[in-house]
Amino acid sequence: MTERDAQVQLSVIIPVGKRYSHVRELYGEYVLGLESVRLTREFIFVLDGPHPQVLAQLEQLISEGTANIMVVCLSRPFGESTALMAGLERATGEFILTLPAYHQIDGRDVAKLLAPLDSDDVAIGWRWPRSGGFLEKARRAVFHGLVAWVTGMRLHDLGCGARAMRRRVLEELSLYGDQHRLLAVLADRKGFRVTEVALRQSDRDRFEGVYRPREYAHLVLDVFTVFFLVRFTKKPLRFFGMIGATMCGVGALVVLYLVFGRLAFNQSLADRPALLLSSLLVVLGLQLFALGLLAELIIFTQARHLKDYQAAEIIEYPRSSDQQHSHESRTAAVS
Amino acid sequence: MRTPIKLSVIVPFYNEQDSIGALHAAIVDAVAPLQIPFEMVFVDDGSKDQTLARAVELARQDHRIRVVKFRRNYGQTAAMAAGIEYAHGEVLVTMDGDLQNDPADIEQFLHKIDAGYDVVVGWRHDRQDKLVSRKVPSVIANWLIGKVTGIPIKDNGCSLKAYRASVIKNIPLYSEMHRFIPAMASIAGTRIAEVKVRHHARRFGNSKYGLSRIYKVLLDLMVIKTLASFAARPLLWFAFLALPLFLIGTGALTYALTMSLVYHAATSLPIAGSGVIFLTSAFILFCSGALGELVYNLSGMREHDFARLTQRVDTRTAAAETAAR
Repeated sequence: MTERDAQVQLSVIIPVGKRYSHVRELYGEYVLGLESVRLTREFIFVLDGPHPQVLAQLEQLISEGTANIMVVCLSRPFGESTALMAGLERATGEFILTLPAYHQIDGRDVAKLLAPLDSDDVAIGWRWPRSGGFLEKARRAVFHGLVAWVTGMRLHDLGCGARAMRRRVLEELSLYGDQHRLLAVLADRKGFRVTEVALRQSDRDRFEGVYRPREYAHLVLDVFTVFFLVRFTKKPLRFFGMIGATMCGVGALVVLYLVFGRLAFNQSLADRPALLLSSLLVVLGLQLFALGLLAELIIFTQARHLKDYQAAEIIEYPRSSDQQHSHESRTAAVS
Repeated sequence: MRTPIKLSVIVPFYNEQDSIGALHAAIVDAVAPLQIPFEMVFVDDGSKDQTLARAVELARQDHRIRVVKFRRNYGQTAAMAAGIEYAHGEVLVTMDGDLQNDPADIEQFLHKIDAGYDVVVGWRHDRQDKLVSRKVPSVIANWLIGKVTGIPIKDNGCSLKAYRASVIKNIPLYSEMHRFIPAMASIAGTRIAEVKVRHHARRFGNSKYGLSRIYKVLLDLMVIKTLASFAARPLLWFAFLALPLFLIGTGALTYALTMSLVYHAATSLPIAGSGVIFLTSAFILFCSGALGELVYNLSGMREHDFARLTQRVDTRTAAAETAAR
């Protein structure tokens, strides 16, 4: 390895997924944008799956003598979250900056993301002013409205790949699946301070075509994930129990009505499909309830690993035996 | 090494900048005359006012204080759990940060622990709160909790409690369990005592905990009840759930079959169908029980670990028996 050492303060991780631009050009733009930042930096490109063109461009960059570039190649596409974690494993900086692999934001604004890290732990990029037709704007508004309703966090652009954070944040979150989009929400839940930074959108960040149903399904699933993570991870029975009890109750009422009809008015039970429906409801309700109990059992047995708090710092002053350090508090980063 | 700490006083604070100084003084006044090594753990639950700064200032002056700082507000259970985690004493006493509890009561808690109890719960017999919004719901809730969990404690909501550290540190505390710590602790077979404590009206700040929604308490109660009695036997839980379904299902199927085979009537689809649904469901529930066994088995949590926390071994008898042989 070249002179990659512990002096690196800022690690820039760029996961290259399905969508990517000419990386040389992009790299140049980002480097220009970061010029004003007085932090020694490294660039880590994580190729999520085989991207021979990108690899060739990066190899060319390296052979030209560009320092502090690293390329991590994943054998198959694992998804952006995994790519980020792979990059984090190699990163040595105290600050992590993740950037999109295509022209999503104006490269000149990249440095803006690092400014809030003095007081905050995470800074999430937000494309503004943003292009897009009425329908797309409405779609975004609805999605972020839902997220805000569930989490109480008013976020504007979960899809933006530009995020800056302290290293600890990413280490503690250990993202998987599609969680990279929910990074702000997850970090907030862990007690990190999250802020949003408006960045100019790149002229080339144009979306052509129509969103396929799959994209919508993704959004809906994102909202669901947030919902479960935020509201019910520690209290599964509250969720399952509520739905289960409602179903069971409705089913039981219908059964009672049918039985009453049979006994009082001698209506035959045998040819009433409503009986099928009501027993299905009762059964489904009970099943949900049982699922909730099972979830509670998992939580209970794992409770020791699932601490729901993060102590940011333990402050104590040493006793008389080591008085000389009495003006320094002991700081423990507790995981 | 320093002398082992006998007592840790754990106090969670949330926006209590006016109380913290007075409380610290009161604790020291109450505990210092007891002549035991003690410490105080102040947990700052993400306060937005000067609480943390004042706590750190106190810690600078009084080295018996340890301050645990949260990044944000996590709620009282989390604050208590953190305090318990970072306390080093043999006996842990928790109390509210709002001066409603009186540290002078700590002494009688210690006596109870020394007498062999594992958990000592305070009972605010002369409660200084509003009748309708605080007292009445509390009486109902406590009665309910006592009925369901089988541990008749008159006042679950009193924060002033004392625990033997070896016991409480090994009991899972999560979510909003602070209302049910005695019930949770009973999983380990703890010996629980109750003592009357003084209770003062609020002097500073506002009350943070109002009426909570009843369904939450009910569901939480159900969880604790089932966990306490069945955590180690999930298959049994689910068998209980499955049994009525199995009976109904078999009944309905038998009826439908008898009608068609014996009386040669047309097979009733809704009845036979319902029977099949119920039977299938019973079967799935039973399988869920098997899944539960797997979860418990893989978790590494064992009942005898809990039993060990509170067991007493009378060594004298054991020695006498060996000698007799």
